[in-house]
Amino acid sequence: MPIQAQQRVPPVVDDLDVVGRLRAGDERAFEALIEQLHPTMLAVPRAHVRTRASAEEVVQDAWVAVLKGLDRFEGRSSLKTWIMRIVANIAMTRGVREARSTPFSSLAAEGEEAAVDADRFRGPQDAFTGHWNAYPRDWSTLPEQAPLGRETLRALAHELEALPDAQRTVVALRDVYGCRSEEVCATLEISAANQRVLLHRGRSRLRAALERRFDD
Amino acid sequence: MIAYKFLRPDRTSLFTDFAWPAPGTWVEASIEPCRSGIHACRVSDLPYWAGHQLYEVELDGELVEQSTKVVASRARLVRRLEAWEDLHDVYTRMCADRGHELARSAAPPLHDWEAVIEPSIPEGPALLGFVAARIAEAIAGPPAYRTERARQTDWLAERLGL
Amino acid sequence: MTESDQHITCQEVVELVTDYLERALDADEASLFEEHLNFCDGCITYVEQMRVTVEAVGQIGETDVPADTREKLLTAFRDWQHA
Repeated sequence: MPIQAQQRVPPVVDDLDVVGRLRAGDERAFEALIEQLHPTMLAVPRAHVRTRASAEEVVQDAWVAVLKGLDRFEGRSSLKTWIMRIVANIAMTRGVREARSTPFSSLAAEGEEAAVDADRFRGPQDAFTGHWNAYPRDWSTLPEQAPLGRETLRALAHELEALPDAQRTVVALRDVYGCRSEEVCATLEISAANQRVLLHRGRSRLRAALERRFDD
Repeated sequence: MIAYKFLRPDRTSLFTDFAWPAPGTWVEASIEPCRSGIHACRVSDLPYWAGHQLYEVELDGELVEQSTKVVASRARLVRRLEAWEDLHDVYTRMCADRGHELARSAAPPLHDWEAVIEPSIPEGPALLGFVAARIAEAIAGPPAYRTERARQTDWLAERLGL
Repeated sequence: MTESDQHITCQEVVELVTDYLERALDADEASLFEEHLNFCDGCITYVEQMRVTVEAVGQIGETDVPADTREKLLTAFRDWQHA
């Protein structure tokens, strides 16, 4: 029974080589970069701007800014991180303009949120306080493929969209697009601890949504 | 040093799914500050990690002792202690009986704590070991948890010849 | 972080699971976490549910760049080249 989560490793690309080819006008190199990063970049603005169309515009503006700023890329961070920071900055600016944005770190620290309702556990007056009242259900006993079927994935995508902004952004970057935690922290300018709280809350909500679905 | 390790019936580790080679073959792992490396039990650690099969292991290389385990950079299985498999149910029953004894000896008796014991039996030695130690703690505080675990260790050591 | 330094509850496990998977627990906390999982089938099931959830989320990403987006970006690239 595997317990460790798997991190998807991004493809290894020599950043300075890519930058060199872009400067030389290599369209195929640019297309490859778009393929690699565009979907991930789209995950970032959703914390700051209202609509999907707005997010698309932010990312397109970001690509223009990337090209114009290529001369300034020195390789101190990875190209991907550098590009993701540009997206984040433009998203923040646009978000402020749309009068919706709050600084990312304040979105993280709000309140307490239990991963599982307290009533699922024995109470403070009970013996074995804090232990399960009834165990969660073993999903491996469900009809084959049910956890990863198309309907379930569609519903899960819906639930992801419905997460609070900060949680959705972190879960999307980490679990949908496979960014490493250092990359996410650098992009969003949040601490590792903050990032973990958001990841934890988002994942916990999604697990609970799947559980509700499977319990029917 | 000689130590012990519980594995699943297919000789894999519970937390890493690592498939151990047959006894005799060395395995290496680097010890990072908090996580990796090969985990093993001293005799006093056995009750905390009770599992399906018990192996004697030989540890080598870098060794780090923690409160309920040892972490090593090099290890090999030496032999399976088949006697442990015969003891599963007896040990579970012993812990259950201790739980009953402790709960009934408390003033007032701990009926709610005792009620957990019998339904937990199917989950086996690890759970009942915890239940008994936790009941001891409910009566006499945190030191009693450790004392009950030490009792479990003595019981196991005697019957396994460790 | 936990109420006792000798054992943790299921309620604590469900709050610590992400930190555990992220390797952010210290050695003692990770040990308590694993000791608990060793005896608690309910929490083994829960951690597996979290793992399945993460894996499922990994399957829902859009990886396609729409054609018109690609065209717009290529135009921007050519404009930048000729600027």
